[in-house]
Amino acid sequence: MEYDDGEEPSFSDPEDFVDDSDQELLGDVLRDKPQEADGIDSVVVVDNVPQVGPERLEKLKNVIQKIFSKFGKITNDFYPIADGKTKGPVLLAKEKKNVVIVWEAPEKQPFKDFGNLRHWLEDPDCRDQYSVIYDSGERTGIFANDVKEPIEVEERARWTETYVRWSPKGTYLATFHQRGIALWGGEKFKQIQRFSHQGVQLIDFSPCERYVVTFSPLMDTKDDPQAIIIWDVLTGQKKRGFHCESSAHWPIFKWSPDGKFFARMTQDTLSIYETPSMGLLDKKSLRINGIKDFSWSPGDNIIAFWVPEDKDIPARVTLMQLPSRNEIRVRNLFNVVDCKLHWQKNGDYLCVKVDRTPKGTQGVVTNFEIFRMREKQVPVDVVEMKESIIAFAWEPNGSKFAVLHGESPRINVSFYHVKNNGKIDLIKMFDKQQANSIFWSPQGQFLVLAGLRSMNGALAFVDTSDCTMMNIAEHYMASDVEWDPTGRYVVTSVSWWSHKVDNAFWLWTFQGRLLQKTNKERFCQLLWRPRPPSLLTQEQIKLIKKDLKKYSKIFEQKDRLSQSKASKELVDKRRSMMEDYRKYRERTFDMYNEQKPLRLELRGGVDTDELDSNVDDWEEETIEFFINEEIIPIGDL
Amino acid sequence: MRPILLQGHERSITQIKYNREGDLLFSVAKDPVANAWYSVNGERLGTYNGHTGAVWCVDADWDTKNVLTGSADNSCRLWDCETGKQLALLETSSAVRTCGFDFSGNIIMFSTDKQMGYQCFLNYFDLRDPQQIEDNQPYLSVPCNESKITSAVWGPLGEFVIAGHENGEINQYSAKSGEILKAAKEHTKQINDIQTSVDLTMLISASKDCTAKMFDSTNLEHIKTFKTERPVNSAAISPNMDHVVMGGGQEAMEVTTTSTRIGKFEARFFHAAYEEEFGRVKGHFGPINCVAFHPDGKSYSSGGEDGYVRIHYFDPQYFDFELEA
Repeated sequence: MEYDDGEEPSFSDPEDFVDDSDQELLGDVLRDKPQEADGIDSVVVVDNVPQVGPERLEKLKNVIQKIFSKFGKITNDFYPIADGKTKGPVLLAKEKKNVVIVWEAPEKQPFKDFGNLRHWLEDPDCRDQYSVIYDSGERTGIFANDVKEPIEVEERARWTETYVRWSPKGTYLATFHQRGIALWGGEKFKQIQRFSHQGVQLIDFSPCERYVVTFSPLMDTKDDPQAIIIWDVLTGQKKRGFHCESSAHWPIFKWSPDGKFFARMTQDTLSIYETPSMGLLDKKSLRINGIKDFSWSPGDNIIAFWVPEDKDIPARVTLMQLPSRNEIRVRNLFNVVDCKLHWQKNGDYLCVKVDRTPKGTQGVVTNFEIFRMREKQVPVDVVEMKESIIAFAWEPNGSKFAVLHGESPRINVSFYHVKNNGKIDLIKMFDKQQANSIFWSPQGQFLVLAGLRSMNGALAFVDTSDCTMMNIAEHYMASDVEWDPTGRYVVTSVSWWSHKVDNAFWLWTFQGRLLQKTNKERFCQLLWRPRPPSLLTQEQIKLIKKDLKKYSKIFEQKDRLSQSKASKELVDKRRSMMEDYRKYRERTFDMYNEQKPLRLELRGGVDTDELDSNVDDWEEETIEFFINEEIIPIGDL
Repeated sequence: MRPILLQGHERSITQIKYNREGDLLFSVAKDPVANAWYSVNGERLGTYNGHTGAVWCVDADWDTKNVLTGSADNSCRLWDCETGKQLALLETSSAVRTCGFDFSGNIIMFSTDKQMGYQCFLNYFDLRDPQQIEDNQPYLSVPCNESKITSAVWGPLGEFVIAGHENGEINQYSAKSGEILKAAKEHTKQINDIQTSVDLTMLISASKDCTAKMFDSTNLEHIKTFKTERPVNSAAISPNMDHVVMGGGQEAMEVTTTSTRIGKFEARFFHAAYEEEFGRVKGHFGPINCVAFHPDGKSYSSGGEDGYVRIHYFDPQYFDFELEA
């Protein structure tokens, strides 16, 4: 792997890490560390013994006897055998009381300082960062989002070979290379960790950022599963490898929100593993015949999964609590063709989109089964949809959802509110929308309806508090829409990967006011850097909101100063440009006048300097203009 | 403002040009017919028939007596503007790419492409000497060894020709000796078009490098740069406002794979002093190949890959518009 940073990899702890985790970090090594056994007077442990087969065991024993009888008479010995060969430390019981331990402890690595990994959050103007890949992948830049124009923080050539990913809390930037993944972070984006996985194509992080999962189609062998590897981010250690039949639905392993569990589905099986052991929960997978799909609640350790109809048994959706495996809710569904699971961001609601073919009909209709997770016994309400569904999205942090339905060119958007009183209200519907995707602000309330790619980049900015269209706009051929993590800004972009010209990203406010257009040669991808959850308590947030007016005044003043400074700069710049231009024009005008005799001569004395220099030459002409056309059928005359 | 649509060509427009007084607009295209139109109402005056291949360039002399065209049929032809009669046929060894009358109307220049083993030449004929026409012998023929000429205009007093090259260079070629008097190396890719201001003191070059640049005609001093994100096919300087207009688009072969949106291609207006874009006019169904201001500055025209020429008369707001300064 080539890195601009030519330093050796290190396995050291970050600055504020308290090292009380020998068991965790060195667990596998410590397991081999000999313990003082009770009841045995003196034991000699011999490690690094050559592994020999049964035919040379005698000879080995003799050699060891010879060496160690120097320390005392050997009364007993134990040669562990595995797979027909000696394996592991040899134990010799000795008469003398000293315990001689021949064992090498691992070397302690020097501590490497990466600086403050949360540095970007301390920007005094609260600018969020985003990564930009351009030059068809040759260049990657990190920018801070300033209203005036993007501020370049870091920019490197060939930083990644394909694309980049941010970790879920924004701490790390992951880059892809032929030999594996590298993680970068801190103020200067130093290389924090790297994971060797030849041919890696996909990665995924646990929500807590403790683990990273990599996939490479190259690395799987029957004996040594290496297609999927789970790594410990801090130590860089490989925790466990897995086979992988198909990476089609990445991530294969889905994480519980607290990172304590991860699970995957295979034929008729749901396998749930725990961390940090990486072993199966209760040492066994769950057999669930016909299981089609599952997902974790984003808020609790609950898995939702569904199985299709099986002879007389109807299809059903099940909610299972982990680690207890209690089924807290089961919902039967009839005549099901397909189901899709949509969790609300906090896990407050689960929407199961059910496509059904009702008995006696041939068409497919869709219902949304809304599970209210926070209410006792998880009641379920059904919303019937009359048209085919194009897109569905929950309001993050809220209880609304938006649905795009219908068929081009008659596409409609409907907004629903899941109310406390058990009702689900249709708040509003807009028809004739040019949209195929819904993008909610991460803070809720606002959303963007976008007609990406084939719909040529039509955009609608909606405020769902009163379901008004704040602005209708367009970013021609836009391929992506990305909200910043605070919900203040939206970026629309035209990626070179989908359209070979006009590659650029545009910055809008959440209300749909266009702020910036940034063209980047062969721009490919923009990703906002996520923010970790706020450290403020609910009480503190309430207090700040109460005093918001006070804070707003200060911010507004700052903004006005900065804006007028920009306007003033622009105005000054224009003034000086105009002055220079005028001076230049005056100079050329002087020369032009001096050359008049030459011009007259060249045109035989005719003065053509002005269009009206020769009024005598003018003719009067009558010109016809086409006004209107009327067709009168002859029969009517 | 509703534009006047001129439909006189089967193929994409290669050049449009107003005569000095602006009452006529000439258009040539990849088809063999050259057209002359009344700019006030779009009515066609007539056609100039004779070429057998794509016509790349057109010009009219200051008196609107003669018209000059250059074609891929390896000829440069002189026509009587009013009658359409072909007055002279100058055969060449390769396609004629750019042509023009000098300030006096007595000297014509045209450049030939580098193709089929022949070099690029810049040729000068004096129309006052009929022998030159009869013998097809230019009084001066300047070879361009390095990079072929892609567009050229006459200097203010007929002393030199200012030519843009495939490699982005702009050179002044003396009309007497053929030597290079001044050179400018500001563009990084092919020059697609060069036009002069109406008083001939300035010129604007449109380049594949996605910029247009303004130069002083006499000393080739680089004055302004106008940046876009698409190759610029043509640019023109307003005669009465501090504006320039630019037209462009992507390579012809890319057009079919990208935009199918109607009327997407726009003419873009920049402030000549501030170098800032302030307006766009949509309407063409393909990239814009040529733009031109009417000599009185009250209208402008554009010719597109779609084969149409559109004449636009400006609304009063256009003349009142100002950027804060």
